[in-house]
Amino acid sequence: MSDRFDESSDETLGRRLSGELRRYTAPPRLRVTILDAASPPRRRPAWLAPLLAAAATTMLVALVVLPVLPRVVPADPVDRYMRAVVSEHARTLMWGARHSEILPAALPWLTQESGIALPQVFVGDERLEFVAAEPVYLERQRGVAIHYRDVDGHMLTYIALPAAAGLTIPEPNRVQIGRWRPALLRDSGFAAWVWKQKDVACFLISDMVSADDVETFKEYFARVRATTEPVPAY
Amino acid sequence: MADLEFERQALAHIDALYNFAMYLTKRPPDADDLVQETYLRAFRFSHRFQPGTHLRAWLFQILRNTFLTFYRVRERESPIAEDGVPEWDVPMFHHAPENDGTAMEAHTDLERAMRHLPEEFRTVLLLAEVEGLPLEEVARVMACPVGTVKSRIFRAKERLRGLLRDYETK
Repeated sequence: MSDRFDESSDETLGRRLSGELRRYTAPPRLRVTILDAASPPRRRPAWLAPLLAAAATTMLVALVVLPVLPRVVPADPVDRYMRAVVSEHARTLMWGARHSEILPAALPWLTQESGIALPQVFVGDERLEFVAAEPVYLERQRGVAIHYRDVDGHMLTYIALPAAAGLTIPEPNRVQIGRWRPALLRDSGFAAWVWKQKDVACFLISDMVSADDVETFKEYFARVRATTEPVPAY
Repeated sequence: MADLEFERQALAHIDALYNFAMYLTKRPPDADDLVQETYLRAFRFSHRFQPGTHLRAWLFQILRNTFLTFYRVRERESPIAEDGVPEWDVPMFHHAPENDGTAMEAHTDLERAMRHLPEEFRTVLLLAEVEGLPLEEVARVMACPVGTVKSRIFRAKERLRGLLRDYETK
């Protein structure tokens, strides 16, 4: 070996370094460890954090601002009444009447609570069964609601409210039924007869929307209209 | 360069980096830590790498800088404890006694002589002669002029020859 070192020029020594010096190989687990350690931050997209932060901020702002935003309400008084009446009828279908009172025993109490007097009221017949009567509060006005169920199981709700100024029954929707001309309006899958009786706005609403049902619905209107007379009590 | 593509290209040099780390740290566990830290830094700062330049030299530069950073920390910390090891932790690249079973064992006089060279000499020989990097790349890794690299190679070989002669005479 001594010969090799004696004659070890720079070039020879360089060859020995590249050829004889032991080379260490990385253990296989090291590559796996590196990839595992690098994976979590790399696999999370850079845009994800700002996007989530923006979404959370938007939701927070929406939660704070939405309740104070002015609600979009229909400009037409009839539409506003109609929406309120539909909501009340839908509530009754889902949850039933809040109070189940017997007519005519409850009339004094109803008049006191609703501000609507009923000198005459339809209390049911062989086709329409009286279910309940209750005071309601719709469109910032007190009123009375009377619920019926027909022999086919349809629920009907009669609602009487003090007519607001400017409440006009739409002429194009008027239908001649005997000597009366109520308007037939439709909203959210329900149909309603709308009419004014002196200073009281009246509604008879049901889910009877098909052509056949509307004919029956006309008969129900006639029965209720002929025998019910709401008047403002005060 | 896409992250996955960059990782694939960088990991192709893992054996060369590990070999370099073994000759720097002299202990497999420390070499593991050094290579892993090197890659994590490379991935984190991959946007700083200029495509078209020598990726392997860039990785060697990171590895050496990481080694020097921790090595110098160890050099400053070691006097704190009587046995050279701070009690709260075992510092990275602590020079454990070579008979503790974890130190790299020298198989040849050449390897033994390399281990006794100062770091600057070891590095310049490993990069220029073993890895075959151009002198310009070696200068970049070691952050010094090319002339300094040539000078260090010359002096490193002189020292290496001297060590080999000593081993031979013993």
